[in-house]
Amino acid sequence: MENALGIWGSQAIMMAITASFTVLGIGMLLAATMMKRRWKPSYMVEFVFIGIMLGLAWYGDFTSTKTYAAYQQDLNAEEKMVSGNYDGKGEEAFDSVVTVITFQWGFGFINEEEEISRNALVVNAGETVLLKILSNDVIHGFNIPVAQITAEIDPDDKRELWIRAPDEPGKYLIQCVNYCGIGHSQMKAWLVVVDGDDDENEGEGH
Amino acid sequence: MSNMQMDDPKMGEMAHWDPRDLLSDLTVKQILFSNDYRLIALKGIFTAFIMLAFGGMFAIIFRTELAVPDVQFLGARVYMTLMSLHGMVMVFGFLIPLVVSVCYYILPKILGNDRLLWSGAAQFSYWTLIVAAVMLIIGRPDFTWTAYAPMSLRTGNDLIWMGYVAIILVAVSEFFAGAVLFRNALASKNGWKNTPLMAWASGTIGLLFMISVFPLGFVGYGLLSDWAQWRDVAFFDPSRGGSVKFFLYVFWTYGHPAVYLPFVPAIAIIYTLMPRFLGHPMWSYWSGVAAFILLAIGAMPIGPHHFQPLHTVSGEYERFIQILTMLVFIPSVLHVFNWISTLFMAPIPDSARRAIPFKFMIFSIAFIVYGGATAYLNGQIAPNSDFIHNTYWVPAHFHAMFFGFSGQMAFAGVYFLYPYFTGRMYNQALGNWHFWLWQIGLFIKITGMGVAGYLYFPRWVYDYLDIPGWANAQLAITIGGYMVALGFLIFLVNVFWSAKNGKEVTGDPWPVVHDLKAAPAAQPAE
Repeated sequence: MENALGIWGSQAIMMAITASFTVLGIGMLLAATMMKRRWKPSYMVEFVFIGIMLGLAWYGDFTSTKTYAAYQQDLNAEEKMVSGNYDGKGEEAFDSVVTVITFQWGFGFINEEEEISRNALVVNAGETVLLKILSNDVIHGFNIPVAQITAEIDPDDKRELWIRAPDEPGKYLIQCVNYCGIGHSQMKAWLVVVDGDDDENEGEGH
Repeated sequence: MSNMQMDDPKMGEMAHWDPRDLLSDLTVKQILFSNDYRLIALKGIFTAFIMLAFGGMFAIIFRTELAVPDVQFLGARVYMTLMSLHGMVMVFGFLIPLVVSVCYYILPKILGNDRLLWSGAAQFSYWTLIVAAVMLIIGRPDFTWTAYAPMSLRTGNDLIWMGYVAIILVAVSEFFAGAVLFRNALASKNGWKNTPLMAWASGTIGLLFMISVFPLGFVGYGLLSDWAQWRDVAFFDPSRGGSVKFFLYVFWTYGHPAVYLPFVPAIAIIYTLMPRFLGHPMWSYWSGVAAFILLAIGAMPIGPHHFQPLHTVSGEYERFIQILTMLVFIPSVLHVFNWISTLFMAPIPDSARRAIPFKFMIFSIAFIVYGGATAYLNGQIAPNSDFIHNTYWVPAHFHAMFFGFSGQMAFAGVYFLYPYFTGRMYNQALGNWHFWLWQIGLFIKITGMGVAGYLYFPRWVYDYLDIPGWANAQLAITIGGYMVALGFLIFLVNVFWSAKNGKEVTGDPWPVVHDLKAAPAAQPAE
């Protein structure tokens, strides 16, 4: 399924860089303790190493900012947005718009027809969905693993996320990932993906 | 050793004390109130072990609960209380006091003062922390160590104010511990160009302690004030005009430097033990100094990366935090580079290879690499908004850093000091069992957490759905946890058994011997 953040490509590179660093570090440690050969690196080696890390920091910032900005480009610009400088496409650009209310302890989903579901976000397969998320009481988290997106919502704030629904109809987990009190473990809901052509399936979530 | 050698810049490579039995004829009064640095340090070390026993026991209970999905023997409230106490007791009760106590023990000799300056402040710091720990146990907070307002104000627990007061007391305790470290670093007899790297570590981290605890104290006070409604307008509670954002910024202004509080003293212990076991100086002195200074400077402003997926951090500010987070990676890498280069420089003596503290040191370096490399990924907004934030990925990162590195390095320090304060050597076989159980257990535990996090397993849940991969990862973490607990029990047996029955040590307990076969007489005692 297409990743909402669209970061699979760059994310894979970042994972590879991280893994290489681990392998390099552990490999050098093993060599230093196991190998017979001895080596006293010059300061130049360290400076080159610092240079590589500065380059990696630049590359990480460049890539992360690019992917995240590309994701946010697609959000519409609401006057309440904190930074307020997204030039998104507006709500019309999305196939559907859902208001999400997070509370201790659960989610409420309100669709464009003002229908409220306590624990099912019903969407059509493959469509793009704009989620306008509010918190009623404390800081909550919002995570849809299948859409590969996580956000944190505080009570003074208002967040917008968008996802592309999976093509495969079915039930996918939505969960709170920020500890929000004793009922945090139960704070779950379902992303119910229905076949877009078959309207009878709508609202089947439970 | 004689006082003539006190000003020798090579102090760090020499034997510091004559081994002697400090424990057997201690009076209760000495244990409680003596300002002798060794006794303060030993009190801190053994109290930290008690804290580890409690924190570990809590972990074992809730790890058992998590081993399989859908089977409950703990309710949500009990689980969350155990979880919160595990975090608080381990960080504030075990890890920070243990590394600081090991530094208290080593600093006076290595700096040539032969006593801990401001030892009364160290004493006060210790007792304040004890009061805080007791209040935490009685108050039983269930709001995790981050105490996010307004959730932490709405727990329905009448004794919860004790949790807020404990936060203030932890701040007070850490302030005085920092002051002691800072004061002693300044008093180094060797001058700042020759002072051991542990003095640079103590100076920078002492300063960081003293600055960063003020926001923590304010968090405790603000929560107490909001909870008791002392002010008409709350600090943090949005239902009475407070700001959650304000809370987050205040808390993480402490919270990020705080992760370096157990980290830097552990680094300092490496800089002390490594030259001692290898018998030659570090690869570079100034690289270590630069790394300590850079780490202290870089630590202060980057707290917001802990709540980056909150909308508060956005735009150019978010980017500034992202860049700085990736740059603060560099000083840590400089330390690791220095250590590996030092190991590479000259042949490693047989005596070092055999010593349990040296083994712990090598593997703690492996864990800092294993856990630290992910920091590059964690600092970036895009993956942070995917699978990193608040999933088990982050616990994998900080268990590797806090336990795999700092905790294990503190234990290396304790094994190193053991012959000095008991006059006897630990049991080698038991030490090896402890060592291997911890390396394997920690690796399984940390890797399991990383896998669970990559599969979006959320933090702070007492039960979970049977989603593919989740149950296996949790079971693995639980097994790793049991191994760590078993290793700790073996360590305790070793400490108490060897104090009576270990081989007596006279002279230098850690002679540098390159070929043990050629010089069996110099073999370290078993």
